[in-house]
Amino acid sequence: MKKFEYLKPHTLDEALILLDQYGGRARLIAGGTDVIVMIKQKEISPDVLISLQEIPDLDRINYNGSLSMGPMVTHRAIEKSEIIRKNFSALTDAVDVLGSVQIRNVATIGGNISTAAPSADTAAPLLALGARVKLKSMKTERTIPIEQFFTGPGETVLQKDDILTEIIIPKPLPNTGSAYWKHQRRGALDLPILGVAVLLSLDKATVTCSDLLCTASPISTVLHSLEGDEVFCKEVRIALGVAAPTPMRAIDAEKLLRSKKISDELLEEVAETAAKEAQPRDSIRGEAWYRRDMIKVLVKRMAMKSIERVLKPEETVFPVRLW
Amino acid sequence: MQDFINIGKRIPKMDAEEKVTGKAVYIPDLKVPGMLYGKILYSPHAHARILRIDTSEAERLPGVRAVLTGYNTPPIKFGFYKDNPPLKANKVRSFRDEVAALAAIDPDIAEEAINLIRVEYEILPAIFDPEEAMKEGAPLIHEEHLGGKEKKPTNVLNLPWRLIAGDVDEARKNSAYVAEDRFKVTWVAHCCLGTSGCVAQFDMKSNLTMYSNTQIPSLAQKDYLDALSAMGLQGKKVRVIKAMIGGGFGSKLDTYAYEYIAILLAHKTRKPVKIIFTREEEFFATSPRQPAIIDIAQGCTKDGKMTFRDIRMTLDNGAYTSWGATTPSVMMMPISSLYKVPNVRYVAKCVYTNNTYSQAMRGYGNPQATFAIDSQIDILAEMAGIDPLDFRLRNANTPGEVTPQNFKINTCGLRECIDVVAQRLDWRQNRGRRDGRGFGMASMIHVGGGARVYKSDGCGTIIKIDDFGTVNVITGATDMGQGAETVIAQIVAEEMGVRVEDVVVTHTDTDICPWDVGAHASRTTFVAGNSARGAAKKVKEQLLEVAAKSLGESPENLDIRDRIVFSKNDPEKKSPLGKILRATHYAAGGKMVMAEYFYDPPNENLDKEFKGNLSVTYAYGTHGVEVEVDKETGQVKILKYIAAHDVGRAINPMLLEGQVYGGATMGIGYALTERLILQNGKVMNPNFLDYKMLTAKDVPNIETIEIETDDPSGPFGAKGIGEPGLVPTAPAIANAIYDAVGVRIKELPITPEKVLAALKEKTNLK
Amino acid sequence: MKQTINFILNGEPVSVEVEPHLTLLQVLRDKLELTGTKEGCGMGECGACTVLLNGKTVNSCIFPALEADGKSVMTIEGLTDGQGHLHPIQKAFIEYGAIQCGFCTPGMVLSAKALLDENTKPTEEEIRHGIAGNLCRCTGYLQIIEAIKAVSGQ
Ligand SMILES: Cc1cc2nc3c(=O)[nH]c(=O)nc-3n(C[C@H](O)[C@H](O)[C@H](O)COP(=O)(O)OP(=O)(O)OC[C@H]3O[C@@H](n4cnc5c(N)ncnc54)[C@H](O)[C@@H]3O)c2cc1C
Ligand code: FES
Ligand code: FES
Repeated sequence: MKKFEYLKPHTLDEALILLDQYGGRARLIAGGTDVIVMIKQKEISPDVLISLQEIPDLDRINYNGSLSMGPMVTHRAIEKSEIIRKNFSALTDAVDVLGSVQIRNVATIGGNISTAAPSADTAAPLLALGARVKLKSMKTERTIPIEQFFTGPGETVLQKDDILTEIIIPKPLPNTGSAYWKHQRRGALDLPILGVAVLLSLDKATVTCSDLLCTASPISTVLHSLEGDEVFCKEVRIALGVAAPTPMRAIDAEKLLRSKKISDELLEEVAETAAKEAQPRDSIRGEAWYRRDMIKVLVKRMAMKSIERVLKPEETVFPVRLW
Repeated sequence: MQDFINIGKRIPKMDAEEKVTGKAVYIPDLKVPGMLYGKILYSPHAHARILRIDTSEAERLPGVRAVLTGYNTPPIKFGFYKDNPPLKANKVRSFRDEVAALAAIDPDIAEEAINLIRVEYEILPAIFDPEEAMKEGAPLIHEEHLGGKEKKPTNVLNLPWRLIAGDVDEARKNSAYVAEDRFKVTWVAHCCLGTSGCVAQFDMKSNLTMYSNTQIPSLAQKDYLDALSAMGLQGKKVRVIKAMIGGGFGSKLDTYAYEYIAILLAHKTRKPVKIIFTREEEFFATSPRQPAIIDIAQGCTKDGKMTFRDIRMTLDNGAYTSWGATTPSVMMMPISSLYKVPNVRYVAKCVYTNNTYSQAMRGYGNPQATFAIDSQIDILAEMAGIDPLDFRLRNANTPGEVTPQNFKINTCGLRECIDVVAQRLDWRQNRGRRDGRGFGMASMIHVGGGARVYKSDGCGTIIKIDDFGTVNVITGATDMGQGAETVIAQIVAEEMGVRVEDVVVTHTDTDICPWDVGAHASRTTFVAGNSARGAAKKVKEQLLEVAAKSLGESPENLDIRDRIVFSKNDPEKKSPLGKILRATHYAAGGKMVMAEYFYDPPNENLDKEFKGNLSVTYAYGTHGVEVEVDKETGQVKILKYIAAHDVGRAINPMLLEGQVYGGATMGIGYALTERLILQNGKVMNPNFLDYKMLTAKDVPNIETIEIETDDPSGPFGAKGIGEPGLVPTAPAIANAIYDAVGVRIKELPITPEKVLAALKEKTNLK
Repeated sequence: MKQTINFILNGEPVSVEVEPHLTLLQVLRDKLELTGTKEGCGMGECGACTVLLNGKTVNSCIFPALEADGKSVMTIEGLTDGQGHLHPIQKAFIEYGAIQCGFCTPGMVLSAKALLDENTKPTEEEIRHGIAGNLCRCTGYLQIIEAIKAVSGQ
């Protein structure tokens, strides 16, 4: 492997100074699961790595309705956070199937989005959850919506001297559920063929149902057997990974659903629209036509899952398979 | 049934403690004093002329000890077609072609130096499709290779695989139903968790010691000797020492360029040279399973009796030739002898392309052929309106049968296997609903009593007993994790009346161990087991003879149990083994208790028509699967998996189950997820993230059923089971998918894309 | 520039001079000669190099050695006690046939340990989830899962 120096600043300021000093010759390293692999594969060759591990508090998770996470929060910490599982389920869905336990133990959310791989599993959920990110350099500090963060495959607005210091997820509206589906070829150690995240806020959290088995049946049946009880979508965000050069929102699809009465047919149309908005391409990991087809299937399923999570909040655990 | 003490017991592997504590030494763990590290430069093109190689900069890098190319090394050619030099000169024919190699004092320097070698190429037109490569005017991979009657330059190898029995054309005319299809199978990788590697070392007399992870120590020894001859080192000796093997599965059944490169570098530098593959190299520079295009037709009578099987295959040989090109010889086995088919025709062609070349892999062609055959059995059964279960039972092989390839079927538990699978799946209740859930089965035949693919199918064993009663078994067999060592110890312990703990098995050194043709064809338990049993019998006779003298009893009245020699008549007359041994060793005119035995099974080489009784006995089996197919995404989930095998006898059920679990899991990967993706000859997924072998989250629970037919020729009745576990997996799954959603996928792996595309096509047709 | 790192290795303090670009795996295998930890891919994709860092599994092949400074590292060599007694997980692996070629075994055993330390009675799903980062080509995982169940008394 290429040789490099390894620096371990103890404060954020120190890190910012070092970054400024070394400029393009340095790289930040968080868990290193991308950086070290990229160096080994000769994709990058920094002279200096600046580790964020010794800086206190960058791995904090704060919750007071909204959620604030330091960039050094590991996927494993997210996986285990009951607060996140309950309130920001899409994110839990994503880290649950990210890499392996070993990877999740060290890999961080900050690293995941900073690498900005089109396949980054936390990107779509963060888009769906309406996250904002805080970036800091010696000179400036700014907070931007995550939509503006990604600029291309492997590219972000991060400048050479920037550090991502915080990820903020706003407090969801009442009666909100979210879900992420990583469409993959095996159960672990896989990158998504497609990632689909949906967040839905409903106008109510309980429904009366003609069917006695209501609680047991799948949500599609529930939707059919609603007894005059209409459910409206108050807010929706649909985000797709590996469907375009960057993680993307399906804006047109969202528009179609926002403020509307939710029905099976409408969700189908929404999913179709999302598929039209996407620009998937062929790669060895999946073909464009299949990705597009899966958007149609999975956007609907994730919308259903989100509704289910509002109506049946006790079932927060995500099933391994949907059918 | 006999009462066994050691046979049929779930005895842990003898090397398990070493492995579970991290003490076991594999090649990467090995350090030899003064050792250098070798590194190889590969071609960046699929087909190109080498115009110039400049190694001067690499040579100048401090720490580099030698740089070699095809231009400054002797003309070694290896592989069974002898078309592959370790370092290529003039021309590269695939991305895995070795262009230069070097040795340095540490791996980092070696890597840095390899990047300093400059090579100029002139790119040549390349060809990646074997059917295109056969056409007139296609770019030639080996210009000097001549073939056909006219001896013209061609990409078609001179390996006319051809098996004909009965009259296929006539049988076809008389068939009530005929199915005709094209199946395709692609490259898959062995994915041994330990990557390949070796350490080559010369002594002062230029004798070579190879620390290796080969599956074929004796044959590798010969390959290396040939190489030494080509290097001008005639008459020198070669010693092969096996380290622990981090997985074999056929991948180490041939020697590779890197081994010769290590030898050349070691010779040049007079220092030990180690080469260890990276995972990326393991994926693109070792040889995967042989791909094939399979055109198959089978027919049956009105009532479902099979009439003929007619198969034409085109094999992408890649740029060089290894055992992949001989897989048709094994494919002949299921083609001629899986189910009763009176008329058989099979022809196969191997064609050079600029792709990677293939090798042996668990099943050796059998899984490829069986995928086509047993998928099509379901198609044919449907045409005839017969339940595929009944169809299989109607055509199942039976003991005493002589198949069209002249296999003499001994014991045969196929019918029992089919029955038990049907029963466990509740077949008659469940099948045929087309509701997204489906049931499928497929069967297999494999050699179970050795395979005479070389002139000999033999294995030698030496047994000696030391002063303290420890039984040293020195065998030609190879243990690559499958548990050969343990099974041999069990067989010897049973035969001799000692405990398994008293047996030490040595199998790692050609200077010590007797000859063997290698760990292939699921032959080790059968051949090495019979060999060990033979030696154990002889040594026991000697023991009882010397014991007879000291105990004053005739040898016939003596027996051994738990290391004690005792008289069957007079329980007072007994003595521990060690004591008897010491008495013989220390006596005036003493004697050593030791025996050797060479077992070469009474099987036959295939004749010119590729017929003959290849194996002493045959292993049969049937797998049954229940799947669920997601009609919207095309994803397939396995809900239930039954693997029934006629194993002769389970010498160690725990190890046997391990072979079946491992085989079936590899088979499920073959069926659903695994493939080496080659684009214009380049492996696009040389890593574990993109090559989808199954993880612990993906394996279904597999139920194994052992049918014990107690084969008279096997050691304590056992047959081979190393490969069978993965042979029928893919067709069983394909058949279950068809039963679930009515689409027939004829190309592996059965990806969600293929299932979904087929489902869409089906709805469009409606 | 070489730097010295101090950490607890299998219960004993160690101090090693390392070049900053080395991975923990290189330090363990090449400098400390603990070859029980294996390299199957070098890219974090197979788990053969799994060690415990402060009790949690990490892929040592992509873990910078300098980050082990001040931490506690356990390798497979540290699992057997001072008298050479096997850990119950190791015993179960042997007894249930969870080992074939053995190359995945050290990493697999440590993943099992981390899993059981955290969750003494994992369900089968949880076991599969917990060891999914350790590839095994030989066993098909089933006997490994059985062994882990057995240790947890199931
Ligand atoms: C085997 C394997 C499996 C994987 N599986 C998945 C998967 O399933 N899904 C998935 O999405 N990813 C996967 N990854 C990729 C990787 O693990 C994740 O992207 C991970 O979250 C990266 O985090 P890290 O802390 O390791 O980042 P690092 O490697 O430390 O850093 C990544 C990049 O982000 C920069 N960076 C890190 N922190 C900051 C910061 N605070 N401010 C600015 N820049 C920063 C670094 O300079 C670097 O460019 C896998 C990787 C491996 C090796
Ligand atoms: S060697 Fe580290 S994960 Fe494979
Ligand atoms: S035992 Fe061989 S890889 Fe697991």
